[in-house]
Amino acid sequence: MAKGESGSGRTTGALLSGPLLWLFLFFIVPVVLIVLYSVGALHLLPTDHSAVSFAAWKKFLTGDSVYLGLFWKSVRVSLTVSIIVVLLAYPVGYFLALCVKKRKYVLLLVIIAPFLTSYLLRVLAWKVILGDRGVINSALFELHLRDPGHPITWLVYSQFAVMLVLAYVWIPFVALPIFVSLNGLDGALLEAAGDLGASRLRTFWRVTLPLSLPGLTAAFVFVFVPTIGEFVTPQIVGGSSDGSNFLFGNAINARFTQALDWQSGSVQALFLLIVVAVLMTIFGRRISVRTAAA
Amino acid sequence: MPRRDLLRYTGMGLGVSAILAACKQASSSGIAVPSGQARPQLDQEPGGLQVFDWSGYGNGDYYPGKERQYLWADYQTATGDTPKFYLFENDDQGFTKVASGTSYDIVHPCAYRFQDYVNINAVQPWDTSLLKNWSQMNPELEKQGVINGQQYFIVEDWGFIAPLYRADKVEPQDQSWSLLFDDRYGGKISWIDTLEMLVIAGFLNGVSNPWDMTDDELKSQKEFLISKKPLVKFFWGQSYELFQAFKREEVWIGYAWPDSYAYSKGAGLDVEYMNPKEGRITWSCGLGMFADSQNYYHAHAYADSWSSQKAAQFLVGYYYYGHANTNIDLDGISEDIVKALSLDDLSILVPPNSNVESYIPRRQDYADAWDEVKAS
Repeated sequence: MAKGESGSGRTTGALLSGPLLWLFLFFIVPVVLIVLYSVGALHLLPTDHSAVSFAAWKKFLTGDSVYLGLFWKSVRVSLTVSIIVVLLAYPVGYFLALCVKKRKYVLLLVIIAPFLTSYLLRVLAWKVILGDRGVINSALFELHLRDPGHPITWLVYSQFAVMLVLAYVWIPFVALPIFVSLNGLDGALLEAAGDLGASRLRTFWRVTLPLSLPGLTAAFVFVFVPTIGEFVTPQIVGGSSDGSNFLFGNAINARFTQALDWQSGSVQALFLLIVVAVLMTIFGRRISVRTAAA
Repeated sequence: MPRRDLLRYTGMGLGVSAILAACKQASSSGIAVPSGQARPQLDQEPGGLQVFDWSGYGNGDYYPGKERQYLWADYQTATGDTPKFYLFENDDQGFTKVASGTSYDIVHPCAYRFQDYVNINAVQPWDTSLLKNWSQMNPELEKQGVINGQQYFIVEDWGFIAPLYRADKVEPQDQSWSLLFDDRYGGKISWIDTLEMLVIAGFLNGVSNPWDMTDDELKSQKEFLISKKPLVKFFWGQSYELFQAFKREEVWIGYAWPDSYAYSKGAGLDVEYMNPKEGRITWSCGLGMFADSQNYYHAHAYADSWSSQKAAQFLVGYYYYGHANTNIDLDGISEDIVKALSLDDLSILVPPNSNVESYIPRRQDYADAWDEVKAS
């Protein structure tokens, strides 16, 4: 028996060693490097001889720069997008899980089909749709609802465009955990609620919704975490006039690639990582392993 | 501790030499042939020349086939090798990648960054006696590639930065950079997404040296840009973006390089490339050879190919850029374009005829200010 346990342990160890090594080399080591950059223990340029210092952290955390404000702007955008996306994705997940009887998984595949195309292409396609001479404006011109000389200009290069595209991109992904959560509902509970005289609406509020909360939470986290650091979509469809093309993720990118200021870039990146880790810890308690696995 | 050293020590400490070997292309190997030691001949070099360059400078992004034919077909004939291209979006991004330890054989930065590459020992000097076309190159331009008395960069291409506008839609009140900040055209203006916008504001507002502004001057330009930012439709990153926006009529005015002018003209748009009274900004870029390149002779063959009259004709004819080769034939190019871009008058590259793109000593402060503009 002991021999068997030992063999099983070795197998487990062997199976885990690959992923753990991967995690160590490509997550732990880079994070440690970023920490070292953030305090000036490492420098990008050999000509930089500045000493170890927490000045960049202090400058960021005391709001002595624009970056903390940018972080809160990103939080606002991300929060808005997450709420909208979850609200839009819930009916989709509900319909698939509880209303569709046949070809449920075929429809699910159709919903996640956009993921089979490039993220960049999906974002760029919106520029074609929303542009001054895009699909929407052209349709308005054709219908004589808008003068061709005066297109609706806020459709693209605006905060609206950023939120719209982010919502579009994440809805299919968010629908998945909601679907899994609802699909796993015990039908007997719904029947029991009906037998006890509850209306369909009351059944939804008292039974379906509470039981699908782990899925909703997972869905919210799944969209909030990646969008809070998003920089590609704002860069492509965001506007300069309202600052929607420059969110916190863009600021981090600019620190590393434009300013060559890896110290403050590392501070911002680490701060984001810490925020995300805290959020995951808080929300993780509400997410079942099964839902998250979706 | 510099990042390059850290990469080396980390590699040893972890004992992951196999992984590092696999990643050789993305790290600094530090294998330089000592001075005086015989170099391997061209046919003994590994080949597979790695070129770190702008998009459309050989990789075929803009003119598939033609870029190869004009820019590196001679190299291919001389060496039998096909170069591999790795792209950067702008000089900052390119330098960041190199400074962080990535190494290739050839890099193509612009002149204001040359000193930075030498400072981090990323590049080695060229042996110009190996370049057949060297005698045809403009010596004044090539001086820009000389650092510490050695030819670290072969200057190849040059061009302008100036306002581009739709002549059928826009009526400039003045031949001035002020067009980029004209309240009458709010929502139809595009700026570039680099801190050089602060420099433009400096020129417009009469700062004596916009490349090295004082705190007060920088603050003033930052506030000026913030006040004018609501007029801007978007910041462009690639010049092709600007052309596309012109074509879609999303913008009528832009901070532009000559290629945007060329594409717009080619697309039949009625555009003008302004010569503002504050002066156009001229830039030049050149080829550098990495210090640890094992393709020494291949690299020279590549630089020679880029320095040829054929390459010059291509850059002028297809991008409307200037070229350092002085044997260029401008007959095939329309006279108005030759005049608009001063392709027949290289004195335009010398101050006070234009403002030469220069090193920005307080780059960090400029970057902070530019971030504040974008965040506002």
